[in-house]
Amino acid sequence: MTPSATAQATTRRFVRADGPDKVTGSGRYTADLSLTGTLVAKFRYAQVSHARITKLDVSAARAMPGVFAVITDADVPDVRFGPMVQDRRLFARDVVRFEGEIVAAVAAVDAETAQRAVDAIVVEYSPLPIVNDVESALSPDSPLVHEDWADYGAPGVMVRNRNDASYASIAKGDVDKALAEADFVVRSHYESDGCHAAPIEPRAVVAQWEGNKVTIWTSTQVPFDARAGVCETLELPSSRVRIIVPHLGGGFGGKCGFHYEAHVAALARIAKRPVKLVFSRREEFLAPDKRREGIVYDFETGVKADGTIIARKARLVIDNGAYTADAGFFSQLAAMHALGPYKIPNVLSEAHLAYTNHQPSGSVRAPTAPQTCWALESHTDEVANKLGMDPVAFRKLNAVDSNVEGPSGQTYGEIGVQQCIDAATAAAGYGKPLADDEAIGVAIGWWPSFASASGAYIKIDGDGSGQIITGAQECGTGAVMTLRQLAADELGMQPEDFELVYQDTSAAPYDMGATGSQTLFNNGRAVIAAAGQIADQLRELAANKLEAAAADIVLADGMAHVAGSPDRGVAIAKLAATAANGELLIGHGSGPPPPAAKAVGNTCVGDIGMTAWRAPQFSCHAVRVRLDRETGVVRVLRVSTAHDSGTIINHTGAQGQVEGGVMMGIGQALTEGTKYDDQARQRNAALLEYKLQTCADAPPIDVQFVEIYTPDAGPRGAKSLAEAPNVATAAAIGNAIAKLVGSPVRRLPMTAERVWETINAGNAS
Amino acid sequence: MSFTIAHTVDEALAAMAAGARAIAGGTDLVVGARHGKAALPGNLVAIDRLTELKSVTTTKDGVSIGALVTHHDIEMHPLLSTSYAGLADGSALVGSPSTRHIGTLGGNIMNASPAMDTGAPLAVMRAEIELRSVRGSRRVPIEELWTAPGKTSAQPDELCVAIHIPAPATRSNSAYVRLEYRRAMEIAVVGAAAFVALNDDGTIAALRVGLTAVSPTIFTGDLVGQIGRSVSDAAENAAKVSMEQATPISDVRASDSYRRHTVGVMARRAVEAAARRAAGETIAIPVNRAIGIGAAS
Ligand SMILES: Cc1cc2nc3c(=O)[nH]c(=O)nc-3n(C[C@H](O)[C@H](O)[C@H](O)COP(=O)(O)OP(=O)(O)OC[C@H]3O[C@@H](n4cnc5c(N)ncnc54)[C@H](O)[C@@H]3O)c2cc1C
Repeated sequence: MTPSATAQATTRRFVRADGPDKVTGSGRYTADLSLTGTLVAKFRYAQVSHARITKLDVSAARAMPGVFAVITDADVPDVRFGPMVQDRRLFARDVVRFEGEIVAAVAAVDAETAQRAVDAIVVEYSPLPIVNDVESALSPDSPLVHEDWADYGAPGVMVRNRNDASYASIAKGDVDKALAEADFVVRSHYESDGCHAAPIEPRAVVAQWEGNKVTIWTSTQVPFDARAGVCETLELPSSRVRIIVPHLGGGFGGKCGFHYEAHVAALARIAKRPVKLVFSRREEFLAPDKRREGIVYDFETGVKADGTIIARKARLVIDNGAYTADAGFFSQLAAMHALGPYKIPNVLSEAHLAYTNHQPSGSVRAPTAPQTCWALESHTDEVANKLGMDPVAFRKLNAVDSNVEGPSGQTYGEIGVQQCIDAATAAAGYGKPLADDEAIGVAIGWWPSFASASGAYIKIDGDGSGQIITGAQECGTGAVMTLRQLAADELGMQPEDFELVYQDTSAAPYDMGATGSQTLFNNGRAVIAAAGQIADQLRELAANKLEAAAADIVLADGMAHVAGSPDRGVAIAKLAATAANGELLIGHGSGPPPPAAKAVGNTCVGDIGMTAWRAPQFSCHAVRVRLDRETGVVRVLRVSTAHDSGTIINHTGAQGQVEGGVMMGIGQALTEGTKYDDQARQRNAALLEYKLQTCADAPPIDVQFVEIYTPDAGPRGAKSLAEAPNVATAAAIGNAIAKLVGSPVRRLPMTAERVWETINAGNAS
Repeated sequence: MSFTIAHTVDEALAAMAAGARAIAGGTDLVVGARHGKAALPGNLVAIDRLTELKSVTTTKDGVSIGALVTHHDIEMHPLLSTSYAGLADGSALVGSPSTRHIGTLGGNIMNASPAMDTGAPLAVMRAEIELRSVRGSRRVPIEELWTAPGKTSAQPDELCVAIHIPAPATRSNSAYVRLEYRRAMEIAVVGAAAFVALNDDGTIAALRVGLTAVSPTIFTGDLVGQIGRSVSDAAENAAKVSMEQATPISDVRASDSYRRHTVGVMARRAVEAAARRAAGETIAIPVNRAIGIGAAS
């Protein structure tokens, strides 16, 4: 479809199908489910960060009345798993490596009995040295988090060495020579703390066996991945495992990956009863192998006196935590973010993914990006300051542009990063006079779109209403909700004519899930293809009725009519009624994923395929803040954003994504960060001490889209959008603070106390 | 185990005499129990239906606030939000709108947290607490109520029925300022209240300062040494005294040095705001939003 043909379709606004359920409270979530005879599951956690298990005795717990199952590593198949590095088991064997590691699981008649049984499990440990710091984890004399790391299965491209679970580099040109030739070289060091996805719904899993088949209701973002995890760890074929996801109360990446579905299924099998697990908020903080990774950064950038960047070196150490989860590709992704959307001829960006005894890291909304963007963009302002250049002008000069080569050797098609800078800074009033103690910081960011196989069915019933049966998972973004619009547009119907049927892995075809901002990008293609099949059927039927050629039939406004003669038509509902007594209206779609992008001229080690980005998205955020100099408290007064995410299909949904991403970014910037004690245990695993932003904190947010039809991307020239709005906010806030303080706050989150310390350090020197 | 719903104060007192613990809004008691702070007491008496404890009445000495008056009621009350503005500042900062609709003044005081937001303003206003039991009634100056974190000098069978605040003299008023990292669902990292009375020439006639979350109980100081000084001098000195008197801890919310510094800042701002109000200026409730950080954009 051409860009102009989409214009009318994309302006439509509609209420998302799950909105009323969620707003009125009538929607049902996993924790709301009750099956006859359901038992309550609880886990026994390691509670220590690194130790050898010297004794594990569950006999007393098993003997307790009301306890139906107590299971450990001994009760499940001998499987080590992990999406990239196979370094994990369902239950700890011999060694525990973080406080939230599961040692045993209990199923009992009620929560109190289950807790008593958990407490009755005897576990004794002999302590092992704790790795609590990413940089020292890489030193040759650091204790190992995994003694047997070399024996673990992993893809051949991964470069691993002791506590370094994944090393990746991007190299282009001759960086040392270029640095030597630079007029100025600026070096910066930054650190970011880990933080959490913190969805409002703590996760829940219910499992029930019937014969040798198990049905699992679970609050996952990735149903098919969850199914694969159950199949792998419990050694079952996918035909015997069915995953159903009721309404999902948010995820933000934290509910990606495979979590506790297998534990609960294993309990249910042994207990011979349905079993339900519902996490407390504290468990939600401590246990999942998904939180945003802390990173330590060193940057070195060489510029010419005219402001052009000629070289950049970056070294990053990423906190992997105790297990690799899905973080194996983070090293190369972070290496890309450390270069940023800049045209730099000579680069060396290196990133290490270091095992520690922390909770494992994993894909939280735009993994590695917001914090690396924050560090890089703070550094970028430092470089501009060194040159005496306005930071926005410096970015305009050095940012990538259409048909220009980026830092990793990829040349982009038509992109809108320059327009984003102009639009966001204009909306923010950048350059205009500001009140005392106010400043505007600006940052640019980028994020890839991910292609994947994806499928959907559509059927139209005899009454002319239809169902979209999709493998895609709605995690709150509205991406699945927007599928109705795509189907409606293809068929000349209304979004409200369609019911969405999701998520049931036994009913719907595969989709990767609510991960990588990929839902609409890939499943949109599937739905359009499925709808296209039905459109062809409808045109055939209409052609017969109207005595015209099928190719001349237009589907619009609920009618099939002959092109050019709106009066010669028949209602689609009528055609559906005809089909209901003949060949049914059923469409299925998948379609080939768009081709991969290419990078030319770089030499990479540990290349995990992330140096070239398919349909990259660009953004600029300009944030006005006010600083309370006496306390270091920063208030965000206005956030002005501009995004190039290609064509925007659903403006209401897109705006919501940007607003949500910005709010998450403000939290990451100012208040959200995990604090560890000297035993590598989290000190603030609660919502009072881990401070999310609230509605009362939300500033006005300007949302603008630079809409560029993007070929080889998602439906109708769309790129992705879910993660991108989270990338540049913290960075822009950091740059605003740095202007007011006189130097950057070098640690994220830039808490009031850290800002105050930075002000004091400035006053002292 | 028992749960009594009291319909009269006497029923409540009888239940408490039999060992029951009062539960008003439950926002401390129940939420604390869910978080494992302390198990829910086995015997409870619900006092939330005692309408006689829900009114605000003016007396010849000042104002009497029933123990069950909620933070929301205080924030919105025409008299409290003007003449007793420091209390309204404190109540307006509690938790979220829902916490403020359920949480009561009596519960806040009797919970005796050093981080409570109404304690410092009530202390600088020299409030008295009326405690009643089957044995009779007594009044306690509020500063004598708190003995340690979570501990009061009230007997287990004593119900707090009212909080009495003396009427402020002319040209006097109060303010309460709290350090906030976000605008809702906060707990005081530090906070400070000030009561200021002004002489006709604008100098200080009386100055009392109360500090939140920097010592095991709310700290209050009567800064008689500031009488006759200018507001700005007195504010600076109040900041100094507050920093000296504070014995803050380091924890996950803030370091002791940051707390010590910021309590001085809060004290100075509280004195300044209270003095502006004493001079007749109206500053919207809560003063946190109207001054410095947190101001509307
Ligand atoms: C989300 C949230 C946020 C909060 N934020 C704040 C905040 O910002 N600032 C703040 O100060 N507090 C805050 N709180 C604490 C709490 O809301 C307040 O302290 C509230 O005023 C308590 O009142 P209540 O009626 O709910 O007390 P309850 O929980 O019912 O009782 C608290 C204690 O006082 C006793 N008690 C109650 N009433 C009487 C009485 N009349 N006589 C004798 N004893 C009595 C109870 O036995 C119990 O020990 C917050 C709480 C929550 C849940």
